[in-house]
Amino acid sequence: MASDPEDILKTIAAMLEAGLETEVEPFPETDKEFADILIKLRQLDPNDLKGKLVIGGFVDHPYGPEQQRCMECMYYLVHRKWCDLPELAVPVEPEWWCRLWRI
Amino acid sequence: MANLLWLQGGACSGNTMSFLNAEEPSACDLVTDFGINVLWHPSLGLELGENLRRMLDAIVSGEIAMDIFVFEGTVVNAPNGTGEWNRFCGRPMKDWVADLAKVATFTVAVGDCATWGGIPATAPNPSESEGLQFLKREHGGFLGKDYTSKAGLPVINIPGCPAHPDWITQIVVAVATGRGGDLTLDEFQRPKTFFTSFTQTGCTRNMHFAYKVSATEFGQRKGCLFYDLGCRGPMTHSPCNRILWNRVSSKTRAGMPCLGCTEPEFPFFDLEPGTVFKTQTVMGAPKDMPTGVDKAGYIKLTAAAKAASPAWAEEDLFVV
Repeated sequence: MASDPEDILKTIAAMLEAGLETEVEPFPETDKEFADILIKLRQLDPNDLKGKLVIGGFVDHPYGPEQQRCMECMYYLVHRKWCDLPELAVPVEPEWWCRLWRI
Repeated sequence: MANLLWLQGGACSGNTMSFLNAEEPSACDLVTDFGINVLWHPSLGLELGENLRRMLDAIVSGEIAMDIFVFEGTVVNAPNGTGEWNRFCGRPMKDWVADLAKVATFTVAVGDCATWGGIPATAPNPSESEGLQFLKREHGGFLGKDYTSKAGLPVINIPGCPAHPDWITQIVVAVATGRGGDLTLDEFQRPKTFFTSFTQTGCTRNMHFAYKVSATEFGQRKGCLFYDLGCRGPMTHSPCNRILWNRVSSKTRAGMPCLGCTEPEFPFFDLEPGTVFKTQTVMGAPKDMPTGVDKAGYIKLTAAAKAASPAWAEEDLFVV
């Protein structure tokens, strides 16, 4: 995996644009379901970018009736364009979304 | 001179440890500067066995005046309402509490267990524990909701797990120096002087709360602990960030979430797995909003705050 965040961001964008199938549903409605997804992510190789995107349920656009997006997610660092959830720890665009979204 | 008696029911002695760490004023100051005579205390009392029994009997009979009755720990009623699981000086502690509360000028509950039952009263509550005048949020407790001490006040509740040392000694001094009547209590009988503001008041991470930057691991020097790590600072009434612990810090300043230990529901969610140190959410939004904030307003505020957040909010800061 590339180490430069800009390069990784481009790689992720390309994968999503190419139609990578990710586990968008089910959305973790409870903390137990949320924790179960985190457990799956922890079992991945930290460099397994595709695995993170699939299990995280990434999409490259706002999602749902409320048009949720990374921009409002608590884990999103605006200036670094970075997802600070330790299990993900990847660069992201503000208009993206994943099912680990929390506000 | 004000006579003080301190007894422990279903307790871990945490509030005694806290009391002995008091600085403003210290436990020694109570005696030397404020004329408090400690009749007996589990860690300080000299009398043992029959001598202690005689003293307690003398207090109950009125032979020895008791100005301040401090109780730490739950009132244990098990098994089957007898209180036999917590015997003291020849009889169930709950019987002593019932008799002593009748003759106390002021009755003070120290710590969560004595105030609302705390951890021992968590479901399924095998010790049938309750606080002096509350069981969790339910008014009543062991002494009943109509109880008042001889001074005409209900039980003065100083919650916390443990209560901060100086909350204890400052209330004791207020009572001992004749200012007990000036105390104003909130709906849970907590002194308003300590329990009107929130744990968040004075938190050094408030800028991260404002800009919606989250801490994601304990001890991080950036980020608010409310969003992910279960901090209850915005919903908990306590002065933990105004009257600092050991005069230097607080849990949130050290990067650990507030557990809400001054509120009647503590420990929250009955300690179900996954509920401690984790913000409980419904569809990605916090189940418990900061006091006075609704969900729609919270979402709007988040969008605006994120958009306005400065770069420094994402960097490590010295917030201890």
